Amino acid sequence: MNQRQRFIRKIAYACAIAALLLPLSWLSQPATQDGSKGGLLSRMRQEYSLSQADLGEIDPASETIKLATLGMRGVAANILWEKAHEYHKEEDWAGLSATLEQIARLQPNFVSVWVFQGWNLSYNISVEFDDYHDRYHWVIRGINFLKEGTQYNRDEPRLLTDIGWTIAHKIGRADEHVQYRRLFRDDDEFNGSLPRSQRDNWLVGREELLKAERIVARGTPLKGKSPLLFYSRPPMCLVNYAQTMEEEGTFGEVAKNAWKKAGDSWVEFSNRDLPTQYNVLIRLSEKEAYSKKADEAKAELDRLTPPGLSDKIAAEKRAALSDEEREAYDTPAERRTKEQTNLAAAVGEKLMVHAIDIADRITGDDHAAAFKAAEDGGQADAMARAIDIERDIVNYNFWMLKCQIEPDDDTLGARKAMFDGDRAFSLGRLEECFKAYDEGLKLWRKTIDKYPSLLKDTEVTEDLVISIGHYRSILHQMDRQFPTPFVLQDVLDADALQKGPQLPAGEAPATGTGKDSAGAPENDPAKAAP
Amino acid sequence: MVLDSDPVAFSNWIVPALLSFLTSAATLCAVALVGGYLISAFRYGPVGGGDVIYRMVLGGVRDLIALSPRRILALAWLAVQESLRRRVLVGFGIFLLILLFAGWFLDTQSNDPATLYLSFVLTATTYLVLLIALFLSAFSLPADIKNHTIYTIVTKPVRSGEIVLGRIVGFAVIGTVLLAVMGLFSYVFVIRVLNHTHEVDVASLRPVPNDPNGDRAGRTSLAQNHRHTLKIGPDGTGSTDMVQGHFHEVTAQESGDKTTYVVGPPQGLLTARVPAYGDLRFKDRAGKASDRGISVGKEWKYHSYVEGATLAKAIWTFSDITPERFPDGLPVEMTIRVFRSYKGDIEKGIRGSLVLKNPRTGRASDEKFFIAKDFYIDFLKIPRNLTDPTGKPLDLFDDLVSDGQVEVWMQCLDASQYLGVAKGDLYLRSRDASFTLNFIKSYLGIWVQMLLVTSLGVMFSTFLSGPVAMMATLASLVLGFKAQFVLGVAKGAIEGGGPVESFIRIVKQQNVTTQLEPGLTTTVVKWADSVFMSFMTAITGLLPNFNQFSNVSYVAHGFDIPPDAVLVQVFSAAGYVIAALAIGYLFLRTREVAR
Repeated sequence: MNQRQRFIRKIAYACAIAALLLPLSWLSQPATQDGSKGGLLSRMRQEYSLSQADLGEIDPASETIKLATLGMRGVAANILWEKAHEYHKEEDWAGLSATLEQIARLQPNFVSVWVFQGWNLSYNISVEFDDYHDRYHWVIRGINFLKEGTQYNRDEPRLLTDIGWTIAHKIGRADEHVQYRRLFRDDDEFNGSLPRSQRDNWLVGREELLKAERIVARGTPLKGKSPLLFYSRPPMCLVNYAQTMEEEGTFGEVAKNAWKKAGDSWVEFSNRDLPTQYNVLIRLSEKEAYSKKADEAKAELDRLTPPGLSDKIAAEKRAALSDEEREAYDTPAERRTKEQTNLAAAVGEKLMVHAIDIADRITGDDHAAAFKAAEDGGQADAMARAIDIERDIVNYNFWMLKCQIEPDDDTLGARKAMFDGDRAFSLGRLEECFKAYDEGLKLWRKTIDKYPSLLKDTEVTEDLVISIGHYRSILHQMDRQFPTPFVLQDVLDADALQKGPQLPAGEAPATGTGKDSAGAPENDPAKAAP
Repeated sequence: MVLDSDPVAFSNWIVPALLSFLTSAATLCAVALVGGYLISAFRYGPVGGGDVIYRMVLGGVRDLIALSPRRILALAWLAVQESLRRRVLVGFGIFLLILLFAGWFLDTQSNDPATLYLSFVLTATTYLVLLIALFLSAFSLPADIKNHTIYTIVTKPVRSGEIVLGRIVGFAVIGTVLLAVMGLFSYVFVIRVLNHTHEVDVASLRPVPNDPNGDRAGRTSLAQNHRHTLKIGPDGTGSTDMVQGHFHEVTAQESGDKTTYVVGPPQGLLTARVPAYGDLRFKDRAGKASDRGISVGKEWKYHSYVEGATLAKAIWTFSDITPERFPDGLPVEMTIRVFRSYKGDIEKGIRGSLVLKNPRTGRASDEKFFIAKDFYIDFLKIPRNLTDPTGKPLDLFDDLVSDGQVEVWMQCLDASQYLGVAKGDLYLRSRDASFTLNFIKSYLGIWVQMLLVTSLGVMFSTFLSGPVAMMATLASLVLGFKAQFVLGVAKGAIEGGGPVESFIRIVKQQNVTTQLEPGLTTTVVKWADSVFMSFMTAITGLLPNFNQFSNVSYVAHGFDIPPDAVLVQVFSAAGYVIAALAIGYLFLRTREVAR
C-alpha cells in the first residue's frame, strides 16, 4: 500500500467517524435553559428520570471508575462478582468488603447489587463469625451498605424496605436478638444523636419502612414487592415492639400504650386500599361488610326463588351429563381411574347450581330483582373471599385479635405475673414463683374466658404450656399436688390437640387432669403426685 | 494468612531445579538442532544443512564468548533513551494519580485497613509496571526494524545476542528506577494513611469493678471508623484493646491540676512476623492417627476440624526449638476457626486447650486453656518453666524438647463443637523482622515479574511484529497468572468443561454441574476440548507462573517474606530470562536484518 492509498484510507475513516458522530450529536443534544428540550436521548432521560441527578447523588469516584473501564463495565463487574464469590469462599472478609465497594461504585444504580450484597453482609457473612460482637458488626455493615445505596438511588423503596427489614427483623429476631438489641441501643455510631430511649430496633426499622411508604405515595412503583406485605411491615414492627417489650419485662401503662399504638396501626393498615391479583382494590377491614352483603343478597334470592327450583335445575344438569360423565361421577372415589377422577371433578363443577342459574329461571316481575340479588351476592362473596385470602397471608385476624387482647388489664397482669414467675423459677425462688404462677394462671383464665379464640393460637398455648410445666415442677419440688381440676385444663387440651399424639403407641395420650406432656420428664404427673 | 504450600528451603530446591533446568535446556537444544538440521537439509541438502547448523552453533558459541559488557551497556543506554522518548514517565504519573485518589475507591470501613492498603499499592504497582514493561519491550525492536533504524546498530560491530541482552537490560533499568520511585511513594502513602490517633473520652472513664489496682476503663473517640476501649492505671498510663490489628499506648500529661490523656500512634499495624511453622497431623475422635480432621461441609477445604470433648486432636510438630532461639519460652500465635453444631451459650466462646509434649518420651505439660478467637490472631506465651498434669515442675527445653523437636497438641473442650485449623494457623512467632525491609522484598518480587515480562516481550519482538509480540506477551502474562485455572480446566477439576463446552453452556444457558446430553456432538466437543486443553497445558508448563513471584499476601498480612522464597524467585526468574535470551538471540540471528 503506497502513501497515497494510506492517506485516502485515513480520510475515509475520518469521514465515517464524522458521519456517525453527526446523528449521535443530534440524538444526544442536551436540554438548554432557553426552553429547548434537547435531543431524543435527553428527552427520554428526562421522561424516565434516568439522569444521575434524578437517581441520586453524583459521585465522582463512581463516575471515574465507570470511565476507567473504557466501556468494559460489564466485564469488570463480572470479574469483580467472581472475585467477591472467591473471597467469600475463602473467608477473606476484608477482600470481600473492598470488592463489594468496587462493584457498587461500578454499578451504583443497579439496585439488585445493593439488595443482594446488603443481605449477604447482614445475613450470610455475619453468621460466619463466632463472637456475637463481630456478628453484630457485620449486620450493621450490611445495613450501612444498603444506606449507601440509597444515596445513589434516593427514590428506591426497595432499598429502604430492606434497610427497615434488616434493622427490625435481623436485629430483633436473630438467635442473638438479646445481645443484638443491647448492642444496638449502645451503638452511638449508627444511631447518632437519636436519644437512647428511642433506640429500639423495631421503632428505628419502622421509620425506614415509613420512608419507603412515603416514596411510594409520591408515585414510585413498587417493583417486585407485594403491596400487602409492604404495607403490613410498619404495623408489624409496632406489634413486635410491644411484644419484645413484654418479653424483656416492661409492663403496665408503657406496654399498654405500645399495644394500643400497634392496634391503631393495624386498623390504619386495614383501611388502606390494596391492589390484588384480581385487579380490584380491597380493604382488609371490609370483609365483614361484604360477607353481610352477600348473605343479604342470598336471602333475597331465596325469597324470590319458587320452591323446588334449585332441585329442578340440579336434576336437569344431571340429566344433561353424558354416560361417561355420569359413570365417572357415580363411581366411588377410591375406585375411579385417573381419567374418571379428572372427569368427576369437572362434572362436580358442572352440577353446581349457581345463584345466576336460579335467577335466570325466575320469570315475571321478580326476574330483574332476582338477577340483581344474584349478581350483587356473587360480587360481594367474591370480594369477601379475596379479602380473606389476603388476610390469611398477613395473619390479619390473629394480629388484630392480639392487639385487642394484649392492652387488656387482665392480659397485661397475666403476662406480668407469668414473667415474674419465670424469672423466680430461673432464680430458684420457689414460693415467689408459685405465687406468681398461681396469680398468672387465674388471670389467664379470665382472659381466655373473655377471648375464647385464644385457644386456637398455638403461640399463646405453647407459651402457657411451658409455664405450666414450670408450675408443675415447682409443685413437685414443694411436695404439692398438681391441682385437679386445673384452671387452664382447656389450654392443655388445646395444646395436645394441636400437637397430636406425642407418646409412642401403647402409652396413654397426654390429656386431662394434669396428665399432659408439657413438662420435662421429671414433671411427669405420676412422679409429681405420689 | 493462608499457607497454600510449604515454604521451600533454597538449599533443598536449587540442586533439583538446576538439574531440571539443564535437562530441559539440553532437550530443547537437541530438539532445536535436529529441527534446524531437518529444515536446513531440506533447503540445502544433507551436507549443506549440516554445514549451516555447524556454522550456527559455532557462531553462537563465538557470540557467547565475545559478549561485550561495554556494547551491551551502550545498547542498554539506547533502550533507556528510547523509553524516555516514548514517555514512559506517563506511567509514573498514572501511578501518582491512583495514589492521590485511592481513598475514593477503597473501602473506608474495612476491618483490616493495613491489609487493604498494602494489597492495593502492591497490586496497583504490579499491574502498572508489568503493563509498562509489556509495551516497552514488545514494540521497541519491531519499530526499529520497521523504521530501518536498526541498521544504525547492526551495521556496527555488535552481535545479535548483545542487541537482545542490551534491550532487556535497558528496559529493566527503566523498570527498576520506576519501581524504586513507586515503592518509595507507596511506602509513604501507606504509612501516612494508616497513621492516626484518638482522644480519650474522659466522660466514659469508670473504675474497673473489683480491681485492686484502682484501674479505670473507658473508650476512645472515633477515628478511621473505629474506636478502642482502654484501661488506665492510677498513674494515668495504660493501653487500648486491639482493634483493626493495632493498639495504642496511653499516657497522662499534667498541666496544673488538669490531667490530659495522650493516645500514641498505632502499634502492631505494620509488622513482619517471622513464623516458625510446624508439621500438622491429626487424631480422630477415637484417638487414631489421621492426616486430616473432620470436614464440616464447607466448600473451602483449607481448614480441618477437631471435634470437641472427644479424643480428636490437632498436633503440630515444631523443629529446631532451642533455648537460643526461644530464650523466654514459646510465643504461640494462632487463628482458630470455630464451627458450632448447636448454638450453645452465645455469650461464651468455644474453649480449647494446648498441651506441649515431648515427641520421644511422651512427657506432657499441663493444659493451657484458651477461647477460640475466630478470624483473629490470638497470642499465647508458653513460659520456659511449666508443670506437668500432676503439678511437678518441668523445663521446656530439658523435659519437653527432644532433638530440637516439640509437639503442640490442641483439643476442643466443648462437646459437639468444633475447632478448625490448618498448618499455618498455629505457629511460633520467633521474631519480628523489619517491615521496611519486608516491603522492599515485596518490591523485589514485582521487579522479578517486570524482568520476566521484559524478557518475554523482547524475545517475542525478535520474530513477531509489534502488536503481535505485545499480544503474545500479554497472553503469556495472563496464562502465567491463570496457570492454576488452566490446569484445573485441563484436569477437569473446574466444572463446566473446556472452551467449546463452556461456550455451548453459555449459549444454552446450561448450568455447569449438569451433564451434557450423551451423543456424537458431546463426544466431538469433549475431544476438541481435550486437544485444545492439552495444547494449553503444554504452553502453560513452558511459561513462568507469575503468582509464584508475588509476595503481596505476605506483606499485606504482616508476615516476613522468607529469604529462601526470594532466592527461589530470583533464580527461577534467571532461568526464564536465560531461556528467553537464547530464543531471542536465535530468532534474531535467523533474520536478514541482523546478519
